[in-house]
Amino acid sequence: MITVRNLTKTFGEHTVVSDVSFTLEAHTSTALIGPNGAGKTTVLSMLTGLLAPTSGTVEMVGVKDMRTAIGFLPQYPQFFPWLTALEFTEMTAKLSGVTSKEAKKEAERVLAFVGLEEAMRKKTATFSGGMKQRLGIAQAIVHKPKVLLLDEPVSALDPIGRREMMNLLKELQQQTTILYSTHILNDAEEMTDQLLFLRKGILVEQGSLTDVRKKFDAPRYKIDFETEEEALQFASQSQLHATVIGASVSIEIIEDVPTMKQLMERLVASTFRVKKVERVTASLEEIFLEVAGR
Amino acid sequence: MSNFLTLFQKEFREAWRGFKFLWMPLLFIFLGISDPITNYFMDDILAAVGNLPEGFSITLPELLPIDLLLASTGQFQSIGLIVLIATTAGTISRERQNGTATLLYVRPISFTALFMSKWVIASLLGIVSAVAGYIGSLYYTAILYGTVDAGAFVQMLATYCVWILFVTAITVMLSAMFKTTAVALVIATLLLPIGLMIDSAIGSYWTVAPWKLATYGVQFISGSTSEHYTMTLSITIVLTILAIMLGIVFSKKNAATTKI
Repeated sequence: MITVRNLTKTFGEHTVVSDVSFTLEAHTSTALIGPNGAGKTTVLSMLTGLLAPTSGTVEMVGVKDMRTAIGFLPQYPQFFPWLTALEFTEMTAKLSGVTSKEAKKEAERVLAFVGLEEAMRKKTATFSGGMKQRLGIAQAIVHKPKVLLLDEPVSALDPIGRREMMNLLKELQQQTTILYSTHILNDAEEMTDQLLFLRKGILVEQGSLTDVRKKFDAPRYKIDFETEEEALQFASQSQLHATVIGASVSIEIIEDVPTMKQLMERLVASTFRVKKVERVTASLEEIFLEVAGR
Repeated sequence: MSNFLTLFQKEFREAWRGFKFLWMPLLFIFLGISDPITNYFMDDILAAVGNLPEGFSITLPELLPIDLLLASTGQFQSIGLIVLIATTAGTISRERQNGTATLLYVRPISFTALFMSKWVIASLLGIVSAVAGYIGSLYYTAILYGTVDAGAFVQMLATYCVWILFVTAITVMLSAMFKTTAVALVIATLLLPIGLMIDSAIGSYWTVAPWKLATYGVQFISGSTSEHYTMTLSITIVLTILAIMLGIVFSKKNAATTKI
């Protein structure tokens, strides 16, 4: 759908995005993750055409003017306070090439879709953060774009707003291709076909969630004890690569791998009061910290 | 064209809902009627508040209608113009600064349409206000001092409208050129109201300049205007077109400075 080749952006001496290449397949969603200042917004701005890349290309198959095929939601969408949600969405539809006749109908449709049916005749000055974000989605999808670019779509929302937004995005996922940036990794875990890890403007990892996880997943056991002393005691006796956090012990599996069974037997033979034994896989957050910290 | 109509509708809604079409004409009407009225009642005003010494006498000049229209023009050219510039100077730069422009600029919009929508609304506002102001001024002038030739008055009004078009083109262009509204505002003020002051102070050394256009326009009332009128008018129109073209170029060039 979209092919990005060697995208680079420098501001003066400062390189913000360096040699980034990836492709977005149709009807997939891709999460662009990375710490603050990694260049996520700059990458998205270049894809919207707002910012000209210093070098590199963005190509979209069969589309001459990419701006007609893209819907964009900035991190903090700003609306004209004197317009109502319906007027604003209708205007953006027309500016994206929807005919005047269709524009109002389409605007009403998308506003109902994002749940602003009641409020669409109210001025946006009165809107809450969550409503603004939903209006932001409405203006991004009103012209039925092939690709949706979302900059931190859920970061500024409270848990309820975040839940609503994620549900909206999941519905949209059926219809379009989505690229969104985020530093909230639970969200990325929930809705991602492809991961792009950006760090200091460089794409350090990319691949499917399973691939990336496999690469970084050092399997571990986690044992919860009743008390911290027991945890400490077990860790010192076990002669395993163990870390103690509170009353739980994490054992990284490296060379002399004890199986779960062996571990259990050892625990049963001892007098430790065990609450829970589990085998854990790395969360995206841990992968993120590892990639970001390298 | 459809881009222009869509964007113009947005600009119009902003001006209308912000009551700009109410308060700006009211301001110009107030400026316009203040000179005929205060001059007419000057004797009484001096007597009431003058605190003048015993035996002091002053002969006030006999004013003609043209003098009062000139005085009103002076009001429009200072206070009126500053207010018009102040409300216009942010029209493009402010939207980029606060990020509202972003959701427009990511669409396939024409920057010509964008610039024109801003220029047309600012001009419309300026023209409606100036016409209201002049009509107010003429009304009291006619009642208190005497009538003027209708044709000459229309010529004067039309000339002033050309000047307004020039002012708004320059101001919107500066708004497109500079990242911050403050810079656009300062430069527009230096070029226009302060330019007028400089022109009236040392302008006798030249005869053709946009700043003289309004004065030449008022001279129609006396029956004939300056021989340099046509040249001044042409130069003003050429500069207006130039400002529009530059403004469009800069709107496009600076689009990437919008806050994301």
